[in-house]
Amino acid sequence: MPSIALLAPVLLPLIAAGVITAFGLSGFNLGPIAVGAGAWAAVLALLVLWIPLRSTQELSLGQLGFGTGLQLRLDAVAFAFGLMVLVPAALVLTLQRRNWQEAAIGVLGVAAAMGAIEAGGVVLTALAGGTAATLAIVQLDAEDVRAPRPRWSMLLAAWLALSWAGVILQVRSGTAAYAAVPVSALTAPVFALIALAGLMASGLVPWRSWPAEVWSRPSLRAAGLVVATLYPLGFYLLVRAYEMGDGRYPQVAFHAILASLGVVVALGAAVRAQSATTRRGFFAEVIPGIGGFALMTVALGTPLGLVAGLITLAFAAAMTACLSLLPDRAGPASLVTIAAAVGLPPALGFGARVVGVESTFEAGDFFGFIGVGGTIVWVLWMVAGARATGLPAGRGRPTGETFPRVAMAVAALTLVAGPAIGLIQSAFASPAQADVMPLPAGSVGGGLMSMVTVTTVLPVVALFVPLLIIGVLAYGAAGTRLIRTQPRPPLFNLPWAGAAARLRRAVALASMPEQYRSILDLRALEAAAMGGRPLIWLASLVALAFAVTR
Amino acid sequence: MEPELLLAAAAALGLAVVFTPLRVPRASLLTWGLLGLAGMAAIVIAPSLDLVILILLVLAVLQARLTSNREFVTRLRAPVLAIALLALGLAFERMQGPVVLDRFGAVGIVAGLVAAIGLLPYVHEFDPDESVVASPIPWMAFIGPPLAATVLLQANQVIPSDAGDAFGAMLIGLGLLNMIGGSLGSWRTENDASAWRYSFMADWGLAMCGFGLAIADGRSAALLMLFSIVLGRLPLYLWSRQALREKVPTDRPINLVVAAVLAGSAPFAGFPARVLLLRGATQLYWPLALVLAAGMLLWLPSSLRLGRSMGVPRGRQAVGVAIVLALNVLLGVYPQPLLTLAGL
Amino acid sequence: MVEAAFVAWVGAALVVLADGRRGLALGLVLLTAGLAVLASPAGMAFGAVAIAAGGLVAAGQCLRSGPASWGIMPAGSTPRLIICIASGLLALWVAASVTSGTGAPLRFAVLLVVGLMGARILISHEPGAVLAAIASLALALGVAPGLAATSPGPVAAIVGALIAAGVVFVPAGLARLASIPLADKDGA
Repeated sequence: MPSIALLAPVLLPLIAAGVITAFGLSGFNLGPIAVGAGAWAAVLALLVLWIPLRSTQELSLGQLGFGTGLQLRLDAVAFAFGLMVLVPAALVLTLQRRNWQEAAIGVLGVAAAMGAIEAGGVVLTALAGGTAATLAIVQLDAEDVRAPRPRWSMLLAAWLALSWAGVILQVRSGTAAYAAVPVSALTAPVFALIALAGLMASGLVPWRSWPAEVWSRPSLRAAGLVVATLYPLGFYLLVRAYEMGDGRYPQVAFHAILASLGVVVALGAAVRAQSATTRRGFFAEVIPGIGGFALMTVALGTPLGLVAGLITLAFAAAMTACLSLLPDRAGPASLVTIAAAVGLPPALGFGARVVGVESTFEAGDFFGFIGVGGTIVWVLWMVAGARATGLPAGRGRPTGETFPRVAMAVAALTLVAGPAIGLIQSAFASPAQADVMPLPAGSVGGGLMSMVTVTTVLPVVALFVPLLIIGVLAYGAAGTRLIRTQPRPPLFNLPWAGAAARLRRAVALASMPEQYRSILDLRALEAAAMGGRPLIWLASLVALAFAVTR
Repeated sequence: MEPELLLAAAAALGLAVVFTPLRVPRASLLTWGLLGLAGMAAIVIAPSLDLVILILLVLAVLQARLTSNREFVTRLRAPVLAIALLALGLAFERMQGPVVLDRFGAVGIVAGLVAAIGLLPYVHEFDPDESVVASPIPWMAFIGPPLAATVLLQANQVIPSDAGDAFGAMLIGLGLLNMIGGSLGSWRTENDASAWRYSFMADWGLAMCGFGLAIADGRSAALLMLFSIVLGRLPLYLWSRQALREKVPTDRPINLVVAAVLAGSAPFAGFPARVLLLRGATQLYWPLALVLAAGMLLWLPSSLRLGRSMGVPRGRQAVGVAIVLALNVLLGVYPQPLLTLAGL
Repeated sequence: MVEAAFVAWVGAALVVLADGRRGLALGLVLLTAGLAVLASPAGMAFGAVAIAAGGLVAAGQCLRSGPASWGIMPAGSTPRLIICIASGLLALWVAASVTSGTGAPLRFAVLLVVGLMGARILISHEPGAVLAAIASLALALGVAPGLAATSPGPVAAIVGALIAAGVVFVPAGLARLASIPLADKDGA
């Protein structure tokens, strides 16, 4: 396969966007099948490029002009994250009907996200990721300008921080290419910038942020697509940082802090989920909750942790697709989704969390406490999920954009995929982990039937399949008829839950007391500065002259 | 760099004339635009700074005589101050004397340039209802870029190395002042037309920081910023005039895309300019990069405001906006040909 | 040379202090004379002729427009007088004491005229006086290249002279162009 083919996963959605726009301007809406074709073509291209070779491929097309060249790279990490972005995006684009403008912007966003993932260096990732963020904002506002969306300032700050990290690497080491950055160049400040960029890009904060807020929009067409394309990118940066750091972050403290933050993020989401008043409110916290668990394990710095984190992210991608298509009403689809989301055995989420918690104990020292914390949070999620089964549905969604059977199928797939976690680990996660992290002998292994770690062997098939059978039988026996929609009190309420909002309101309403307003009259100041007065000019000149004599 | 900026200005004039609303008298716009271009061409090819200053005087007088609510004398003040400062600065550089005289000369040249363009603290008086051609905007966005490039190029040949540091430091200092003052002003000022004017100042702040860094990355960043001013902000401002008068902000996707262009977010031309600026600042003095990075976030609230103030472009304007967006994307993703052409 | 510098100073001061067309015209004439003499030894003989011609044309046109009076030192012109004296002293100090080398009179004249004319334009409200100041400024800019170490040639002086001669005619010329509708309600 010629290396120019690496452009395909990025170019195909771009071409699709162009075709959609051309037809749209002529008055034809191509429909979701045609729209989704662009994304599915990218999926196909990704598979065709990767599966035959399963080794790193690179393409370099010359300098772009701002210190970086057009370098693309497809390795196991790019393949894994590419699938995480493309598959849910393709699914929602194919099923949900959009006008041609929304479709074009959505497909462009997919192309930009793939560009960020396939980029061979930090600066190019920043450019493409920033583009994806811009398109996400436009997409969300095009759908509904009044509905919640990510803070553009946060997204802009994230990709600007990454750009700065990239140029620092260029200045220090002459390159910002992931494969070429010397380990010594990834200093603590540089990594802090990258980590900050990753956290902001994915909204990985303990309080309610955009990955939760967008699910409260009246329509979830754009929300699902935005989460699918943007949310994995922050984690992508944290994974690539391992490659630049030869398998670890510059200081152990970074592992501890980020992993702890992951627990706190998951905890925050769990607390909000267990106090949600509608099922939609519960589902809004699912992705942030899974993201918290993913961060906890990705940041550990161990091969098993990274494997667990990648599997968790794949699970998050599946749940993104599921939630995008799930209607706001009670029913089996909703129930199965809740079960999958909270990580009931033997779901993929369950397996990923088990492995993730084990990885914290294997990491040793303080990290074991992180695992304990993660387990407690997981229990809280179980409680929240149980409560959510009886909650009222929510505000309702346009039926044209919901596909309950597809949503249930995706959720069910994650439930039954638990026994296949060994396969997912060996075919999907471990190659990516091996690309960025040197593998100590015996760290992670196994095959289809089990996962082998340093301390134990997890017989996934033998353990999870009986659980699956029991679960199916239990569901068949009980069904949904025993579930009654009724308001249930949350397990606990945080006393400071509304404090942030109250503080923001207080700051917004703050004003200068009447008797002091004449001291600082901004209007008068502006008039003086901008009025073209010679005295001010003269004073400025004197100040400049004085400054140069120092 | 100067010929490229001249071409950009010509392209901006073309865009303005072709895609301006039908109600706007194209003939006058074209006439004065071509006069301005002729002046700029003369500035670019002038072999010495003395001739540049004289040509500047001609342009100032011609513009001041245009019909406007502001007095002729009032409109001449800032350009004449610029000319006087440039002349005095140049004179100081040519005189033999203590080193401090060279620094005063550098002050004169920098202050004169800033006054000619109309940046802080030498801001031209602005009437939001005034015709664009008669307003200070052409100084900032049309004549200013080639003028700045020419003056700085000529000044580098005149200013000795003793005063070079002071020259660069002043450019950076004034650049930061305009960056912060312009972005805050654009966000908080009451009048939308004034907000546009402040936004030009903010962009110029970045460009001046780039010039002040005096390394290839800085000059490249400055060139890209000036291109984004001439081929991005200026045409969008011209097409926003009608909506500014009607005072009807709109929140359509196109307004958000315009806001993205104005904010310098990827993939538009402002983004690689910012990347290059950060790289240059990191090479010389990393706290400056920190200040620049933090300041760059201030573009966002004002850009959202300006994007909304543009209204919904229709007909020819919509085509013009699309062309501007496409140009900015091209420059934003692949600025290498432009930089190669400019010798950077 | 020193006398020429002094004459240029007197001329510039007159331009600053006078509001009437006769005063302005006299100031222009004196200024022109001084600058033309200063320009000639600076390797710009042809330029000196151009300066003289341009200045005289400007003075002539100045004599035909504006209030028909001398208007020298009208009421409230004390600050202007102070500026003239202070700037003269300052320019003298810089030219004679701070800087070194030959050409002190030219340095004095350039610094003084540029500074004074800039100040005149900044503080004035009368278009006639401002145009006279612009013409004076153009003349000074035309001779300023003489400060350079190498002979600058006459180009700047010719251009300065042309500007000085032309700027006082500009209002009449542009009045015809101004008939093209320019400011509009809906666009640029």
